[in-house]
Amino acid sequence: MSVSTSTRHSRLPDSDRIFAFAMIAATGLLLVTFVLVPLWAILKNSFVTPDGIGLDNFVRYFTDSRFVTIVGNTFEVGISVTLTTMVLAYGFAYAIQRTCMPLRNVLRIVALLPIFSPSLVQALGLQFLLGRNGLVNRTFGTEIDIYGFWGIYIADVVYAFPHAFLILSTALAVADARLYESAESLGAGAWRIFRTVTLPGTRYGLASAGFVVFTIVITDFGNPVVIGGNYSVLAVEIYNQVSGQANFAMGAVIGVLLLLPAALAMIGEKWISRRHFASVTAQSVPLAPQPNRARDTAWLIYSLLVAAVILSLVAIVIYASFVRLWPYNLSFSLRHYEFDVQNGLQPLWTSIQVAILTAVISMIFVTGAAYANHAFPMRASRVLYFLAILPAAVPGMVLGLGYILAFNTPGQPIYWMYDTILIIAFCNVYHYHAQGFLLATTNIKQISSTFDEASATLGATKLKTVWRVTLPIIWPTVLAVGVFFFMRAMVTLSAVIFLISPSTQLAAVSVLYLDDRGALNQAAAFAVCIMATVVAFLVLAQIALRVAGIRGVSLVR
Amino acid sequence: MFLSLRDVTKRFGAVVAVDHVNLDLSEGDFVCFLGPSGCGKTTLLRLVAGLESPDEGEILLQGTDLAGLPARMRNFGVVFQSYSLFPNMTVARNVAYGLECRKWEKARIDSRVKEMLALVHLDKHAEKLPHELSGGMQQRVALARALAPEPAVLLLDEPLSALDAKVRESLRGEIRELQQRLGITTIMVTHDQDEAMEMADSIVAMNRGRIEQVGTAEELYWEPETRFVGEFIGRLNLLEAPALLAGLGPQGQDTVLAIRPEHVALTNEGAHSGTVRSVAFLGNTMRLGVEAAGQDLEIEVHGRRKRLNVGETVNFELPADRVRRLASSSV
Repeated sequence: MSVSTSTRHSRLPDSDRIFAFAMIAATGLLLVTFVLVPLWAILKNSFVTPDGIGLDNFVRYFTDSRFVTIVGNTFEVGISVTLTTMVLAYGFAYAIQRTCMPLRNVLRIVALLPIFSPSLVQALGLQFLLGRNGLVNRTFGTEIDIYGFWGIYIADVVYAFPHAFLILSTALAVADARLYESAESLGAGAWRIFRTVTLPGTRYGLASAGFVVFTIVITDFGNPVVIGGNYSVLAVEIYNQVSGQANFAMGAVIGVLLLLPAALAMIGEKWISRRHFASVTAQSVPLAPQPNRARDTAWLIYSLLVAAVILSLVAIVIYASFVRLWPYNLSFSLRHYEFDVQNGLQPLWTSIQVAILTAVISMIFVTGAAYANHAFPMRASRVLYFLAILPAAVPGMVLGLGYILAFNTPGQPIYWMYDTILIIAFCNVYHYHAQGFLLATTNIKQISSTFDEASATLGATKLKTVWRVTLPIIWPTVLAVGVFFFMRAMVTLSAVIFLISPSTQLAAVSVLYLDDRGALNQAAAFAVCIMATVVAFLVLAQIALRVAGIRGVSLVR
Repeated sequence: MFLSLRDVTKRFGAVVAVDHVNLDLSEGDFVCFLGPSGCGKTTLLRLVAGLESPDEGEILLQGTDLAGLPARMRNFGVVFQSYSLFPNMTVARNVAYGLECRKWEKARIDSRVKEMLALVHLDKHAEKLPHELSGGMQQRVALARALAPEPAVLLLDEPLSALDAKVRESLRGEIRELQQRLGITTIMVTHDQDEAMEMADSIVAMNRGRIEQVGTAEELYWEPETRFVGEFIGRLNLLEAPALLAGLGPQGQDTVLAIRPEHVALTNEGAHSGTVRSVAFLGNTMRLGVEAAGQDLEIEVHGRRKRLNVGETVNFELPADRVRRLASSSV
């Protein structure tokens, strides 16, 4: 027996307590530093005027008719794109989950394509297709002007499509066959069954997709800046105010204006998902779609049309990158891949470095945050959870601007990070913190707590348990988190646009600059390099999982 | 006393899961916590293991209070209901785990692992992964893993309930034999009275967070002190009809009078008579449902060839020395 001889054991100096405290403290400190402090800086700056603290900036903003128009534009785009995307994605997800049409696996991958590229690539493709010198105008002699609302509208629908599709596809994947059978036996027609069974069964997915898409669209910067023309939206305006005119106070005001609807949408989404009780129980009979020639053919045609639109925007970018000079000389050429302008291919390497750094930091700190929050329930946990998912409500542009305002002051504790790829990586990690955190939490929760307890009763410290038991079990999740952050870091534009410097130029930003200068072919070539990198990395990770014999871990979120 | 619980209490919100429990165990005892689900038996075991901490009371091991001593420092071996083997480690690595945590030398670990696996007859499966073994084999590995570091106490949390009946039966004997051979103080939680009666030296019958009675299987069966114990272990007739209670003494405020079905004696000319409402033939036993004096009684008859039919009238006696006076609620 090895019980100490003192009659009462002290509660304090225990290595497990120190470990738990260190994990919670580190997570909390990082979240405060990289989320709360920048947000606070935005809020503070929006109220700071030359005459002191007040609402002057907001008043000035809303008395300027141009700004009011911009707010209106933002909502116009947000609402119209959200409605269209939801309808299109719902149909597409329905076709994939609830019919027996052929090509479902291929179509699924096509639907996800826009995730693998920066948000401005859709607009770039649209320029090649419908721009002044686009394929359509040159072939048919038409004079379609795509710059403006319609350009943003189409580009953002395609951009937001995979996000809506993923959520709706999950919602449509589970269904209780008994409901459908009883509806049929009561004599309900197909349309009636859809209205009374299918639609109500997926309403939470629909609401959730709606909020997510709306947030993505109003905070998207890449597509509007490329194809918006004179039709300005808030995300572009914040860029113009800050990067163009160095008007940080105005930037902060717009940041707050963007933050509000995004925060409301996030609260709405959380509220909806909390009310979402399990409609499918253990007794449910899974619904297996039965072949139906006419229906399957109709849905296949619909899905092929949608896929064609998505694919055409990607394909034309790839095509344009390989022609001599769009649209005048369409002979094959590799000269745009020489990257003889600017820093050559350097931005791509920088992007890959940033993406790897982002992935590594996320694997440590995001899964660490999820683990700490799950394994050490204490009073601080709720606060920690809130901070961990708060970034879902913070548009990238706002976070990026917050980083400038908070950290770009000599003497700041982390000023040394400024102008390095480290600050960009941290910005990426905390920009997408909520999604990564929830992904990790879901998976960690599924691991039986018995392993922890068994390990403890065998004499292991928490640290040893994590190292020897938990990590070997959850490593596919950690990898999935890393892949998610790598992908986002490669394609993100909004948050990092404020943080790059000539020495830390990124690939996605290069595409933007090249496009801005009219070097469309080179922009396309750069975009292709980004997409190729993302896909290659994804394939590598998938192979790693396959080699390790892990199945059922989906890497695309 | 080797292990003592003093007024141990645990609440989860408003629910009192374990309510002022007092218990003493001698070294080498095999004790079962028996009770229906939700009676607090698992919580009590987890309190002993250090996986939960009590709100009140103390748990003493050889006189030393264990409060504040985390599970990993208690040196108690725990076997969980299911799925507690580390899926990423072989059988041998699982058994070695606790020894590595205690920084044993490698050679000593290796020989101890061999010894433990031989003890549970799994020496041939040392290099297999848990999912390659059957449920019963997995629980034997879990047992070997828990016993390897020479724990002071072995705690078993429903170790057999996830297994199928056949395996369960054979493991009962195996665990009991192992426990006897090692002489290790053991607490097992179970809701299965057969399991408890077959394996334990003494049974702790629990209900609603409290201990109702502690005793050997025989004591609990023949001399239940409370209505709960009588009804949970075996079958019991509560005597309610005044006609049946006549001559048995006063009923009392907080007590009930009861008799087991096999103690009701069928006679030719008995003190009471009733009508047969149901007959179940169970081989060595015949179980009758009888209505007598306005209440239902269950009567078990052994070794009777002559069949009884529904609707027949039977005479019976309630032998006074077989009627038990039980506390009607928890003590």
